Amino acid sequence: MKRLFPIVLLLTVSASAGDLSGQWSGTFKVDGGDHDIPQIFTLKQSGNVLTGSGGPDTQEQYPIEMGRVDGDRVKFEVTTGEWKFAYDLRQTEPDALKGNLELKSINNSRTAKVSLSKAK
Amino acid sequence: MRKLIFKIHLLIALTTGTFLVLLGTTGSIIAFEPELDRLLHPHLSYVSPVSEAPSLGQISDAVSRHFVGEPIVAFLLPSSPDFSAQVVLPSGIVYVNQYTGEILGVRTRGQTFLGLARALHVRLATGDVGKDILKWSAVAMLFSLASGFYLWWPLKRVRIRGAWRHRRFWFDLHHALGIFSLFPLLVLAVTGTIIGFEDQATRLINKQPGSTKLNITQTSTQTEPTPGATPITPDEAVAIARAEMPGTIPYRVQMPRFGGLYRVSLRSSQDRIMSDSNSVAVDPYSGKVISSVGSRDSSIAQRILAVNEAIHTGNVFGIPSRILVSLASITLPLQAFSGLLMWLRRNKILLED
Repeated sequence: MKRLFPIVLLLTVSASAGDLSGQWSGTFKVDGGDHDIPQIFTLKQSGNVLTGSGGPDTQEQYPIEMGRVDGDRVKFEVTTGEWKFAYDLRQTEPDALKGNLELKSINNSRTAKVSLSKAK
Repeated sequence: MRKLIFKIHLLIALTTGTFLVLLGTTGSIIAFEPELDRLLHPHLSYVSPVSEAPSLGQISDAVSRHFVGEPIVAFLLPSSPDFSAQVVLPSGIVYVNQYTGEILGVRTRGQTFLGLARALHVRLATGDVGKDILKWSAVAMLFSLASGFYLWWPLKRVRIRGAWRHRRFWFDLHHALGIFSLFPLLVLAVTGTIIGFEDQATRLINKQPGSTKLNITQTSTQTEPTPGATPITPDEAVAIARAEMPGTIPYRVQMPRFGGLYRVSLRSSQDRIMSDSNSVAVDPYSGKVISSVGSRDSSIAQRILAVNEAIHTGNVFGIPSRILVSLASITLPLQAFSGLLMWLRRNKILLED
């Protein structure tokens, strides 16, 4: 019974994370930055794999790379040019993703807070 | 009055001295960031020009042969014939000899020494708190320079006398360095303060009569690709962009897979301050120019802030002004050190030999 408990717990957590497929929007603010930057994502979840695209608006979209969903944890990357955006989010509510973003370029690294909500 | 000014000068030095030393040291380094970066990576940065540079298509083929299956995000074209070209991939930046197609190496993204120097200079390598501390340190520096000038005035020392072990030497050094670096440091403090309060400065400039907002002109709309349609090549996109903005030189080409359009950034030799602020977006299927933004489209606030930044970084007059900025910045730690020695000896914390 004791051995079964972690498995049951894991399955419960996995089941609690809803399907992420759909359009998500929100903002991020770089630590030490002045402005909130808009974000729009079109996510497609297939099992644990997350694909789709994201960018500042619906026209300027970049492909999602290395997308993974593990329970309520959502990780993916977007390369916009010299900068790579690595998202590490949690599904805090069925329609809300919150977490951290690491931005890296040659020579530089920044961090940011991200908040996204799913379009109704 | 003199006693009060001295106390203000001392108080500023003791409270913000550490941050001013950091600003000066890191500022003197990042004034030559591109040159230092090439110096640290010479095998990646330099090539011997041998012939006409090949097309972007040929560079693309050379990179694709080495990095099979990885899409190209952008091409960064060299600003000088003896600098290498760079190709941006999701996994890193590939340095390519544009004449031979040889892959010189790859750099992955992440913090380096130069990046840390910049991060310390801009925000103490932290977040909002670090940025606030530094912008108020720049304000404090203005008062330190003004009070220092007031204290220098009666004696007007410009010569350094005495051996370096004696208090007189450091007293003279502090006075002489202070007066010779006063004007450039004043310029750096004013421009640095404006950068620190950029949002407020932008609002203030935009309130002035006659200031215009940025007006990006969308000349066309993106077309949906017809099934089986072949996109235009990066070289064709560059040719379209150059025709749209004659007299400019392309320095960056973003591929349409990353952002939906070809985005060609161009450098103008006619506009020194905002030379890099030209870009043309090209539809990858029809070859139509979707938008064209030149430095001429910048708002007054953007132009004023760009001039301010160019003065602060030394880019305004090229290498001579960058040398001046670097030398002026390095006087900050020297001034802090000489001032600290004077204070320690004055308070008999450090005894003279």
